[in-house]
Amino acid sequence: MEATITKNFTLEEPIEKVWAGLSDPMRISGCVPGASITEKMDETNYKGEVTLKFGPIKSKYDGVITIEKMDNENYDMTLKGKGLDSKGKGSAEMTMNGDAKASGDGTEIDFQMVVNIQGTLAQFGSRLINDVSDQLMNQFVDNFKALLAGEEFNNELKAGSMMGSVLKSKVSGLFKKKEEENS
Amino acid sequence: MIQCKTSKEIGGMGHSMKRKEDDRFVHGKGNYVDDVKLPGMLYMDIVRSPYAYAKIKNIDSSEALKIPGVLAVVTGKDLEQYNLHWMPTLMSDTQMVLPVDTVMYQSQEVAAIIATEKYIARDAREAVRVEYEVMKPVVNPFKANDEDAPVLRTDKEDQKDNHIWHWEVGQKEETEKIFNDAEVVVKEQMHIPRIHVSSIETCGCVADYDKVDNHLTMYMTTQAPHAIRTVIALVAGHVGLTEEKVRVISPDIGGGFGGKVPVYPGYVIAIAASFLIGKPVKWIEDRSENLQADSFARDYHITAEMAGTKDGKILATRMKVLADHGYTDASANPSKFPTGMFSIGTGSYDYSHAFMEADAVYTNKPPGGVAYRCSFRVTEAVHAIERITDRYALEIGKDPAELRFQNFIKKDQFPYQSPTGWEYDSGDYEAGLKLALKTVEYDKLREKQAQMRKEGKLMGIGLSTFTEIVGAGPSKDFDILGIKMFDSAEIRVHPTGKAIARFGTKSQGQGHETTYAQIIAEELGIPAKDIQIEEGDTDTAPYGLGTYASRSTPTAGAAAAIAARKLRDKARKLAAHLLEVSEDDLEWEPGKFSVKGAPEKSKTIQELVFAAYTNHPQGMEAGFEATHYYDPPNLTFPSGAYICVVEIDPETFEIDVKRFVAIDDAGNIINPMVAQGQVHGGLTQGIAPAMYEELIYDDDGNILNGTLMDYLVPTAVESPNWETGHTVTPSPHHPIGAKGIGESPTVGAPPAIANAIVDALKPYGITHLDIPITPAKIFEALKEKGVLDKPIVG
Repeated sequence: MEATITKNFTLEEPIEKVWAGLSDPMRISGCVPGASITEKMDETNYKGEVTLKFGPIKSKYDGVITIEKMDNENYDMTLKGKGLDSKGKGSAEMTMNGDAKASGDGTEIDFQMVVNIQGTLAQFGSRLINDVSDQLMNQFVDNFKALLAGEEFNNELKAGSMMGSVLKSKVSGLFKKKEEENS
Repeated sequence: MIQCKTSKEIGGMGHSMKRKEDDRFVHGKGNYVDDVKLPGMLYMDIVRSPYAYAKIKNIDSSEALKIPGVLAVVTGKDLEQYNLHWMPTLMSDTQMVLPVDTVMYQSQEVAAIIATEKYIARDAREAVRVEYEVMKPVVNPFKANDEDAPVLRTDKEDQKDNHIWHWEVGQKEETEKIFNDAEVVVKEQMHIPRIHVSSIETCGCVADYDKVDNHLTMYMTTQAPHAIRTVIALVAGHVGLTEEKVRVISPDIGGGFGGKVPVYPGYVIAIAASFLIGKPVKWIEDRSENLQADSFARDYHITAEMAGTKDGKILATRMKVLADHGYTDASANPSKFPTGMFSIGTGSYDYSHAFMEADAVYTNKPPGGVAYRCSFRVTEAVHAIERITDRYALEIGKDPAELRFQNFIKKDQFPYQSPTGWEYDSGDYEAGLKLALKTVEYDKLREKQAQMRKEGKLMGIGLSTFTEIVGAGPSKDFDILGIKMFDSAEIRVHPTGKAIARFGTKSQGQGHETTYAQIIAEELGIPAKDIQIEEGDTDTAPYGLGTYASRSTPTAGAAAAIAARKLRDKARKLAAHLLEVSEDDLEWEPGKFSVKGAPEKSKTIQELVFAAYTNHPQGMEAGFEATHYYDPPNLTFPSGAYICVVEIDPETFEIDVKRFVAIDDAGNIINPMVAQGQVHGGLTQGIAPAMYEELIYDDDGNILNGTLMDYLVPTAVESPNWETGHTVTPSPHHPIGAKGIGESPTVGAPPAIANAIVDALKPYGITHLDIPITPAKIFEALKEKGVLDKPIVG
């Protein structure tokens, strides 16, 4: 099961500062909800773990993150993560492409994330993967902003609220059209 | 229409007697396999593959074995030592019991845990570490034989691709010529979706091997206990489990529908575990395991074509099938029929030429192809012929009812030779459709439809006038793994006139304990309430091939009638002896023999039975018992005329089944109430694939709806009000003229619904939709036709 999530956002920070944060695997991984890097293997390979929750299924993936591309001149990077569910229920692969460019005083960032999940999580999470991924991405952006602003943040997976916020976004999506029609 | 020959007290055929078994069920006293609890019993759970296609690099059981209560983790390598790691399928293919090196579908069994408690076994599943190397699976059957597709069955020496077999029947050249010359040719590509029987009770067993006696008692959810015993002996005879050492007991079953015909790996592993440990081992599937790993049904991709004249005469049909069999050919078909009875797909219509062909392929999906409430691929065939018939009517602008009347095989043409080689026994298709049209008030409905269409409303009327083929089957053609498909009955009447009768079949809810008793009551005059029916224990019941494909009444029911007639003949001899007259001077009425012209001189059946034990004439065998193994001379051909009326919401495209009229002709009816119950259940399982059910896999072979949260099995909530009725055309060759009713509604309902929905969408240029037809599918189809630019209403 494959899902592609794209996100475009602008930060009120100069590109150098943004890129410095974005291109440092140790710092950036701290912004990914539920993720942490446990070991630096070499300059481009890191061991890490990610916890994901889709509806009734919680999965912890142990894996390796590889920096496939790090173009500091054009502010373009590609990360590849590959992990196995720690209970043998499946595996996940993720390719993330991040691209930053200066926009006025701030920085515009384009993210594209392709996630491929196999196993139990794919069975149960198929209907939710896009919404959950979107929520994760939003949480990541908030964390990243906090990181750059030097504020404290918590990258724990907001598991309890995750289902709630997905439901809320789904339900409000349903009513959005009606509201527009009514207004 | 249904006339009873017996009194209500006797309760023979035609009486709506309440089901004898229901007392037990409504009091919670049913005895299902999970109710079997034996001293020292162990529990088995199964580690399953998360991947559709992967190499097993390592299985590490060490952590699992540390859990207190876990006794063993069984892998394919363990079973390989005893050559028990594979088994034959019903179609003489091979299937892994546990994999030694490769998994072939998601949720396939990988290892089994044996523990002292059910939940310890379940917990230990997560402690077994399996290392896989994931491979790209073959999921799409149309791409199974592409050049870059991996050959899946590397275990089979001669297998060079993923093609399993090719099958064909009919007149290829002549049919092609008719198509080339025909005024009208219609063609549709359709998919009969992969679905699951989803019986309330999942599968399971308790394997109880006694080391001292070298004897296995196998309590299991099987529709065919005798055949299973033979299969166990064939698979495990070499380790000492020969057939006299095996007893299979099929207790109460909570629905089978074909899903409990195959042998699943879990059964074999439980036997192996009990054999090795020497203790009883229980294995009960959970709901997801049942849905994800047990045999699927259907999954035929069909190209259906019909050739005819401009004024509506059908001239020929052509069908081409691609069958997705999953990892192995584990279909439940009689050996000579790889596509089952698909060749019934020429339908209820009179024309001379047809050609059908099928190819089956391996994919990385669970094996199966069971006859889900359907006599071996009849549902697929009936859907194709009934859809393409409507397509033809649409093409030439003829009313689909009128077109059917024009082409029906007429009542006086029976026995009718079909172009694919069947001899239809009897039928009156016109009478059935006339009654259905009258019940639904067809002409008025069409007027209403015209009016509604003017108002922009989506209303459709769909017909299905199908012919079924059941009761497999005559021994010259029908066997499973070489065993002929007869069935049996043994009747034993006790000295006091009460009886026990045993059968080779096995009820899974059909009501055999009532209907078999009624057949015997009809023939012997012993009240049905006094006749105890027993099935499912291979140590006591006569050999038979089991219950599926509407075969119980056509085979074992016939055996019961003939065995009862043997006893009636004996009763006549006893009566002649007791009344001191010749046999020819006796007259039978249900329950007694009396002397012609002197009705006061009579003996009841109970008196005659008593005499068989207390006062039988010299030279006559004592006792009152008879057995019959019935080998049917032909199959039976039930038919039906179904009409479905739908309205579709023009905004949400929700489908509302407004009316559903089902007129069935199952020949003579044993118990109208039981028959009606069968029809109601079958119709509900007919709307299932038509509107709701389909097992969906993604490109990686992950099942996307492997729980009942995502896979909607319709219930009373989704069921419309069924309007049922029947016509009666007895089967000329069946001893009681019965044909079988259980699967007709499942077979006949889907095309009626699909035809109704397509009819509703006719003004928008839609000619076909694949089932299950969901609101989303209608939305997409209308969008594609460009008719959603403005609202349909208004």
